[in-house]
Amino acid sequence: MIPNPWWVPAALLVCAGLPAQHPALSDPLELLRLQPVLRSAMRAVAPSTVRVETFGGTRQILTEEGQPADAVSGPQRDAPLRYTPKHLEELFGKIDPDELGQLWRDAGLEPKPAGEPFEARDLQRLGDARLKQLFRKYRCGPFAPRPERGGLGALTPPGFLQAQGATTGVVLEPDGWILVSRFALNFDPTTILVTLPDGRSFTARRAGEDTSRGIALVKIDATDLPVPTFLDPTEVRVGEWAFALGRTFGGGPLPSVHVGIVSATDRLFGRAVQIDANTSPANYGGPVIDVRGRVLGIAVPLSPQGRDAGVDWYDSGIGFAATVANLGELVDRMKAGEILHRGWLGIGLAADDLGPGARVANVAPESPARGVGLRPGDEIVTIDGTEVRNPFHLQVLLGAHMAGDPVHLRHRRGDGEPVGITVFLAEVPRAEREESTRAGETFQPPWEGDRPPEGGR
Amino acid sequence: MIRSATLLLTAVLLTALGAGPLAAQGDGYAFDEREPGTPLEAMIAAKLPSLVKVHGASGLRTIVPYATGVIVSTEGHILTLDLVMVQAGQTRVVLADGSVHMAELLPPDTRLGVRLLKIDPREVHIPLLPLELADTVPENGTFVFSIGNAFRLAEFSEKLSVTFGVVSATASTGLRYQLSDLDYDGQLILTDAANNPGHYGGGLFTLDGRLVGLNARIVESTETNTLVNAAIPAADLRDYVARWTGTGPVVVTPEDESAVPAVQGYHGIVLFDQGGRRSPPAYVERVRRRSPADALGLRPDDLIVRVGQQTIRSCKEFEEAMAGLAPGAQVELTYKRGDDVLRGTLVLTEPPR
Repeated sequence: MIPNPWWVPAALLVCAGLPAQHPALSDPLELLRLQPVLRSAMRAVAPSTVRVETFGGTRQILTEEGQPADAVSGPQRDAPLRYTPKHLEELFGKIDPDELGQLWRDAGLEPKPAGEPFEARDLQRLGDARLKQLFRKYRCGPFAPRPERGGLGALTPPGFLQAQGATTGVVLEPDGWILVSRFALNFDPTTILVTLPDGRSFTARRAGEDTSRGIALVKIDATDLPVPTFLDPTEVRVGEWAFALGRTFGGGPLPSVHVGIVSATDRLFGRAVQIDANTSPANYGGPVIDVRGRVLGIAVPLSPQGRDAGVDWYDSGIGFAATVANLGELVDRMKAGEILHRGWLGIGLAADDLGPGARVANVAPESPARGVGLRPGDEIVTIDGTEVRNPFHLQVLLGAHMAGDPVHLRHRRGDGEPVGITVFLAEVPRAEREESTRAGETFQPPWEGDRPPEGGR
Repeated sequence: MIRSATLLLTAVLLTALGAGPLAAQGDGYAFDEREPGTPLEAMIAAKLPSLVKVHGASGLRTIVPYATGVIVSTEGHILTLDLVMVQAGQTRVVLADGSVHMAELLPPDTRLGVRLLKIDPREVHIPLLPLELADTVPENGTFVFSIGNAFRLAEFSEKLSVTFGVVSATASTGLRYQLSDLDYDGQLILTDAANNPGHYGGGLFTLDGRLVGLNARIVESTETNTLVNAAIPAADLRDYVARWTGTGPVVVTPEDESAVPAVQGYHGIVLFDQGGRRSPPAYVERVRRRSPADALGLRPDDLIVRVGQQTIRSCKEFEEAMAGLAPGAQVELTYKRGDDVLRGTLVLTEPPR
């Protein structure tokens, strides 16, 4: 008897198991055909891709803990709590008496005799662990926000020491407006030098920034600069080629290039396109282009973990291109020198809330939400006329807004009728940003700033 | 998922049937010889036999005892990096057929950090297919593939790894090796085709099969503080290879061009450098009278931003750039005055007495 040839079952299995040949691979010459396409796309954008060098600068690169990157001696997180009587007074001034009463009972302490009010020094009796939580929650005492230099935090994550090397920029308008990455300005340089591909160098003046996109605008005294085509983000498709160009390495006619595809669109609420081409300081600020040489966005370090980081991801297949075509009036605000931030309402959302609507679990002190009188238990029904389906939906609806934007929301308290109010969003306080990152919560993108309730963790 | 499950099932079935391609050949260990389909596959298949596995001295944990080499002559010359592991009496070469050959070491090119190995062609029983080193550097944006024995994944006659990418740039400055016993000041091809230990010394090819680079060790860029995949341009290696394989004119590389001149050229610039851990930007504090800087018209408070093509970010970088320049040397200086960027040529002189 002749046995079955060995390959018959194998071939059958292969046929059954593998999908039909991928269309992109059906053309064996695709890569050869892509070569001239890549070249011509690079040539199209090369004249608009400039080299950005910075000199001097005073800002220290801070770690996640806010310490200068070269001054960290060890883990700070579990350091013993150190506070002064002044700190206690400060905290006592912020804490709600009802909350203190609850904490007092939770700590198993004897109730104060009737008529005798709490004093600041009573707080000590709650114990260091609870005190630490309170200091942190009310951002005072040892956990008071650190003074920010120029109101902007460091961009780089711990573990990465930024080099003051050349980065890249893209011409936004012919009369000398150049888009760069905020990363390039991290050192707060005293001098910024922009060198055009034709060899001319200009000193650049800093204008505004969009911290939510990680981009900044600078101005040079030049005219008739070639402006590339900025592609509307709605026209970007997942899976299309994405070429990330940079000017860090050398000043030849063609910029450097890394090749990948678009991994996702509409990241960070429409502010970025995600790509798998390598992005790193070698091309931050540079254009990410499609096969026709149209700019999908500006390569920037971003991350959904809120540290505005991403440099540590440079070889990970995760990169971001901040979208430009949908900046709209933000361009004019940046030209006027405005530092733009993403919007922050200042509410926490309940983890067990499945909708419809979104229930407010807590309200951050000194937040826009507190300013308009939102309270825990309120249910937000609509945002700008759109019905809120659940807390996640609320985040998406709020996410695209910038600080200063008015948002019209309708909320219901108890069984009452929904009430409409207009609230102006604020910028996320730095401490809030850090805190939510440290907490490592996953309920919501921490950079949105609205924290979940304590119980939700 | 589906794919791997299928392969696993196939393997199980083959074992169960007790017959299969693995047992088909006499040495009990053969590899599939699928016909390449696309031009890229065909090109890779054509190049693979010209690359060899190189095994060398081991010992210290930090030394990776394996690398890759490129056959460059029918006489058995093999080009690889001059790594620590390449030691006389311990360097072996494994050819595509799995045969092992003891390699003789030829003198290295210390400037480029490469070395030729030589195996005895009489002991080789397959054709030695030498590769020609391309004489041009590929343009940015050229698709490339890279062949090497990354992480020693291939043993015996197993095939080397191939990675794919694009030439990102060719850069000459601001690069450093992490373990710096290779002092390389020439240009390097930077690519996003993955390079890894073991892959070093392998070849970087364009899609039309030209050998354009020899995989270098992974370097760190001082411009970015990130690691980059690099290759030494093949064009820079041609003279060295020609010299030792006798296939071209002997070109002697000048031994040490950067020797410190007897007299340091004088410029007359005093920078505002108050010391400190981080060297400050190169602001001019004073210009000595009747000095070359004075002749150029340099003034206090000018910021020197470039010497030639090199960006100067600190006083230290300026001093380093000027060191080693003899009297008479001409330096193109770019400096900032107010908001203007100016340029001029500084002609160094003998230092005043």
